[in-house]
Formats: sequence, C-alpha cells, structure tokens
Amino acid sequence: MLKIRGLECGYGRMKVIEGVDLEVGAESVGLFGPNGAGKTTLIGAIMGINKPWAGSIELDGKSINGMETHLMARMGVALVPQERELFPGMSVDDNLMLGAAYIPHAKDKSAEQLEKVFSLFPILKERRKQLAGTMSGGQQRMVAIARALMSNPKLLILDEPSLGLQPSIVAEVFEVLKALKKTVSILVTEQNVRESLKSIDRGYVLENGKIVIEDSAEGLKTNPYVLKSYLGL
Amino acid sequence: MAVKRQKAITWALGLAASVAILLWKPTVLIYGLQTAGLYAAIAIPMGLVLGIVHIVNLAHGEFMMLASYATYFACKALGMDPLFAIIPTALVTAAFGWIIFQITIRRALKAPELNQLILTFGLAIAFTQVINLMFTSQTYKMPLDYVSASMDIGDLTFGTWSFVFIAMAMLFSFGLQFFLTKTTTGKAALAVGQNPRGAAIVGIDVYKIYGLVFALALALVGAMGALFLTKSAIFPQVGSPFTMKSFCLVAMAGVGNIPGILSASILLGVAENFLRAFRGTRGWADIVFFVLIIVVIMSRSLKGRKS
Ligand SMILES: Nc1ncnc2c1ncn2[C@@H]1O[C@H](COP(=O)(O)OP(=O)(O)OP(=O)(O)O)[C@@H](O)[C@H]1O
Ligand SMILES: [Mg+2]
Repeated sequence: MLKIRGLECGYGRMKVIEGVDLEVGAESVGLFGPNGAGKTTLIGAIMGINKPWAGSIELDGKSINGMETHLMARMGVALVPQERELFPGMSVDDNLMLGAAYIPHAKDKSAEQLEKVFSLFPILKERRKQLAGTMSGGQQRMVAIARALMSNPKLLILDEPSLGLQPSIVAEVFEVLKALKKTVSILVTEQNVRESLKSIDRGYVLENGKIVIEDSAEGLKTNPYVLKSYLGL
Repeated sequence: MAVKRQKAITWALGLAASVAILLWKPTVLIYGLQTAGLYAAIAIPMGLVLGIVHIVNLAHGEFMMLASYATYFACKALGMDPLFAIIPTALVTAAFGWIIFQITIRRALKAPELNQLILTFGLAIAFTQVINLMFTSQTYKMPLDYVSASMDIGDLTFGTWSFVFIAMAMLFSFGLQFFLTKTTTGKAALAVGQNPRGAAIVGIDVYKIYGLVFALALALVGAMGALFLTKSAIFPQVGSPFTMKSFCLVAMAGVGNIPGILSASILLGVAENFLRAFRGTRGWADIVFFVLIIVVIMSRSLKGRKS
C-alpha cells in the first residue's frame, strides 16, 4: 500500500528525517521513537504537509511525492494529527460531516459511516451539537479519530492517538484500531508502546531521523533494546 | 452575570439614545440608518474576506469604485438603468476579483501581514490612478429621477431611496449566514477560516476556497458598486473612504461577526448624521470613524492587558 524509500525531510536547513525506508501493507504498523525523533515530520511528509527533500513515497504503486494534502485525503489517506486540527467553532456534527464531504468515495455513504462512528464513540452522539472547541482534550481526540474514519480511508495514519486520553479510553481506542485493521491499513505513532503492541502487526523504531529497529510485534516485545528503552523493563 | 448586566445596560442606553434622537431630530435616525445600511453592505464582504482568507483588503473600496465606473460606462453605452446592471456587474467584478486574487494576493498569503497590507494598498493606488488616467478626476453621475423619491409623515419629509441600502445589508447578512451555516461549500469555507491545515487534511482545497470566497465577496462589492452609482457621483478616489470605514467597522465587530458589523454600522451612521445635523459640527462628521477606531483599539488593548 504505502512504500517509502530513502526519504529525507526537514525544516529550513535542519534535516530531521535522514533516509527512511518504511512500508505499510494490508496491516497495522507502529512507529515508535523518543520525543523529537521525527515521527510527526515523517507523517507530514507522507501527507504532503511538509515537502520531502529526497527519496520516494508511493501509494499503491503510484508516486505521491510532494502531492498536496487535500489530494492525499481524496486518495484515501486519513490523518489523525497530533494537534487534532479540528474546526473549533463548529459543532461535532459539522466536523464529522466535513470529514466525508470532500472525499469522493465517502461522501455518498456519510450517513452510514456516521452511525458506525457514533457506535464507536457514543459520547460524540450525545454531544453532536456541542462546539468542538469547547470539548475536553480527550473528547477532541475522539472527534479527530471519528472525523478521519468518516472519510472511509484505505490508509489511516494516527499521530499519538492515545495522547491525553484516560486509560480506559486508550484501551478502547486500540480495540477500535484492532477491529479496523481488517479493512484499513494503519500507521500509528505512539508513546504508549505497551498498549499499541497489542494491536499492531509490525513496528519501526525511529531515532534521530533514522530507523534503528524494524520487527514484528512479537519480535519487538522481546527485543532487549525495546524492552529497556520503551517498555521500561 | 456581570457581562449580561453590562450588555443590558449597553442596550438600554442605546435604546434611550435612539428614542431621544427620534423625538428630537427624527431625520438623524432615519438618515443614520440609511447610511448604516450602505456602510454595512459594503463592510460585510470585507469582513467575509478577513474572516476566511485572513487578509485585510485595503483595495476594498477601490474595487467598488471600479465596479461603479464599469456600470456607469456600460449603462451609458446601452442606455440602461444601473439597477439592471447590479447582477451583471456583480458577476464581472467577481471574475475580475478572482483573477486579481490568483495573480497577486494568493502569492502573498504566506507572507508576513505587513507585506499583505502593502500589496493590497498598492492595488488600491494602482486602481485609483488607472481610472484617473483614463477618465481624469472629473465626476460622473447618473441622472435618475427615482432616487429623489421622498415621503412625508406629519411635517417630516425625508428621502426614501436610500432604504434600498438597508435592504441590501439585510440580504447580504442573511444570505451569507445561510451560505456559511447551511451549505456544504459554506461550511467548508468556515472550516478553512478556522483551521486551514485541518481543512486540507479532510480533503478541502484550501486555495480554491480562498479564491471562491474572494470572488463571492467581490460579487457583493460589485453589486454595491452598481447600486452606489444610483445615488452618488463617482470619481477616482470615491472608494477610499469606504475602505477606511469598512475597516473601522470590521475592526469594531471583530473577525467573523456579521451581526457585529450591522450594529457597528448603525453606531457610525447615526453618529455621523447626528453631527451633520448641526452647522457647527458638520465638518466633523467625516472623522467619526477615526475616533471610533481609536476607541476600539484602545479598549481592545486595555482588555488584552487585563486578561
Ligand atoms: N515546524 C517546525 N519547524 C522547525 N522545526 C521543527 C518543526 N516541527 C518539528 N521540528 C523539529 O523537528 C524535530 C522532529 O520533530 P517531530 O515533531 O517530528 O518529532 P516527534 O517524533 O513527532 O516528537 P513527539 O513525540 O514529541 O511528537 C524536532 O527536533 C523539532 O524541534
Ligand atoms: Mg509528534
């Protein structure tokens, strides 16, 4: 599905991503790494938010290197950004509606999709009319995830989806991701490595802009470096 | 609670002031509201552009001036009434605005604000000077008899044509409110105004929306350009006070606040006509907006310092 080769990317003169190879097939893939490793930057390069300096990015065999963000979305790549990026002055309903309205393959099915999303996050149904900007941080994260799902994506990218969520909801979100991976390819970055290892098939560890480990979920769970640095054992 | 009471007091004072003016000088209120309609109808599109494209268009009134000139010469050539030119002028102005947006403003959207102000200010000067070169500084006016229509109530006589501006302001504000809250494109425009990055993520073509909103605003400006011609003489600098006053009203109302523009316009319109009603203060009417803008900026910065 997604295939990245030799990607380099950064801000101004500072190179942040220094030659990354990464693949996501019909599976769920984790991307781990310390703060400032470049996870968000890498995702930004995939999504066309920052322009890649070198390397190639392909989606279904088609080069999408430097494609504009809205076109990426229309091609079926949905992003749940770390900063959520909701429309604060609009209702939850309108935020969700806009998740589908400009996606050619999703806009006609938005009513069904809305029901699905509400069954995943019942609280959003109760708060349909509330302005997104007045919701709590965790609730806003749910709106962001729900908005991404409204677009019925082929590839769902989540940047730290559990950030700021209470533990019971974190477990729930990973349950949702586990259920979703049957139909959607997933790329997820996480600080909560322990929880996310339960839902992913494979994972990468990114440090200082380079991939230092690439392994299956089972392999990562037993990798001494991962155990020490990320699972605190 | 305190905010509520303050609001109630403001309303009560406003109501008392208007009743007092109405009893004492009824024409001040009537002409004040007519002027307010004109100001609001012109300021609303500027507010729309500021709220969504996040750019202060200092060529706003100059775009209207161009629309008025275009209407004048088209009507002259075709022997047509400017009223029939409202919709065609709106369309032509929208197209013109869209082109100007694509070749100039679009490129400055990521630039610092000062550069954007310099750009639109430059456009304003260019428009004014081109018209000056083509048609000199001579004034042009359409002779229309329906604009001098008047009405008598008791021993009170006042012109009625300018009520059309109030109707226009109402049409613009309700129309935009409907567009922005009920249609998908309108909601997308609101979303772009609130968070362009979030809008791109959900598949909205942000720059297309910018162009569209700019063109829509210019359509309203074009319509006002045609309507303005029915009432007023036009000359190259005729637009510039409207740029300034629209900016004043939008600043008073705050970004994205159409009802705020309406009430700010009423305040400005009535205050100007109040000063015009007395021989001694007549000359001061044109600087009311200047005083208002200073008051607004001062109270904003005081409020900002408090919080
Ligand atoms: N807009 C920006 N301009 C300049 N530098 C940036 C920008 N965004 C991020 N950086 C820098 O790029 C590096 C990588 O940041 P990035 O946000 O990609 O890290 P991350 O792995 O997502 O971290 P976190 O876990 O904290 O989210 C950091 O050193 C950061 O300071
Ligand atoms: Mg990050």
